[in-house]
Amino acid sequence: MTQIARPAPRRLDTFELPSEPGNERLALARVAETVQGLGLSDSRLEKLKTAVAEATMNAIEHGNGNRAEIPVEVEVTQNGDDIVVAISDQGGDATGQAGPAQEPDLLQKLEGAQSPRGWGLFLIRNMVDAMDITTNGQRHTIWLTMRTGGAEHGEHV
Amino acid sequence: MASMCEATTRVLPGAAVIELSGEVDGSAADVLTNAYQTAVGTDADLGTVVLDFSAVDYINSTGIALIVSVLARARAERRKVVACGLSPHYREIFDITRLSDFIELFPDLDHAVSELTGPAA
Repeated sequence: MTQIARPAPRRLDTFELPSEPGNERLALARVAETVQGLGLSDSRLEKLKTAVAEATMNAIEHGNGNRAEIPVEVEVTQNGDDIVVAISDQGGDATGQAGPAQEPDLLQKLEGAQSPRGWGLFLIRNMVDAMDITTNGQRHTIWLTMRTGGAEHGEHV
Repeated sequence: MASMCEATTRVLPGAAVIELSGEVDGSAADVLTNAYQTAVGTDADLGTVVLDFSAVDYINSTGIALIVSVLARARAERRKVVACGLSPHYREIFDITRLSDFIELFPDLDHAVSELTGPAA
């Protein structure tokens, strides 16, 4: 049987940010610069930027409790056609549990039955091709995967 | 965290316009609330609030929450909210969140005003 060798994942960048509100802007700018030229269309790059910002906000606020001395770690890798951004905090299971238990429902929010907030994970899921969450002890990581080179659902090329 | 959002308001016949610039995130709560209050004033007959995002370069989930709050307040006051100047990316986010089911979207302020005030005589 012939096996086609798949290239090993290539680390493109890794960096840390202090857990201070607003630093998600630094994360999205740096990730955008890192993946420039790797085949993401403008619209998909905007989606990845939004997902990175939301995941970094969650890590800063819910994972690390806005404690600047605990860094949010960001790693960008390319794995074949996939760009994978891993964003880690030290919140353990608490990071994921900080999100809303229910799917955001705009009508319920307008009627006061749900908080106006709670859009973060919903937006992330709708922005990227895959979202995975792992927890290893206190280390909580969200993995954002975006395929390059192809069109997303409903997008014409 | 200091807000990176600014708002200016003006009143047209039957509509108030809130022109936003910068970043619409959680830190913009006071800016947006005050702008809404200034825009609608005490005019109970003012039927429409226009949110102009032409000069906004960033909206995040907490900014979406603020827009939801503005929409909820406007609905409670029986006012319509329309929006203009959103980039294609943020138009899609308005679609995904279903905000566009409740907020009519226009490409720019001229289109919004033209629609709201009718064709020029």
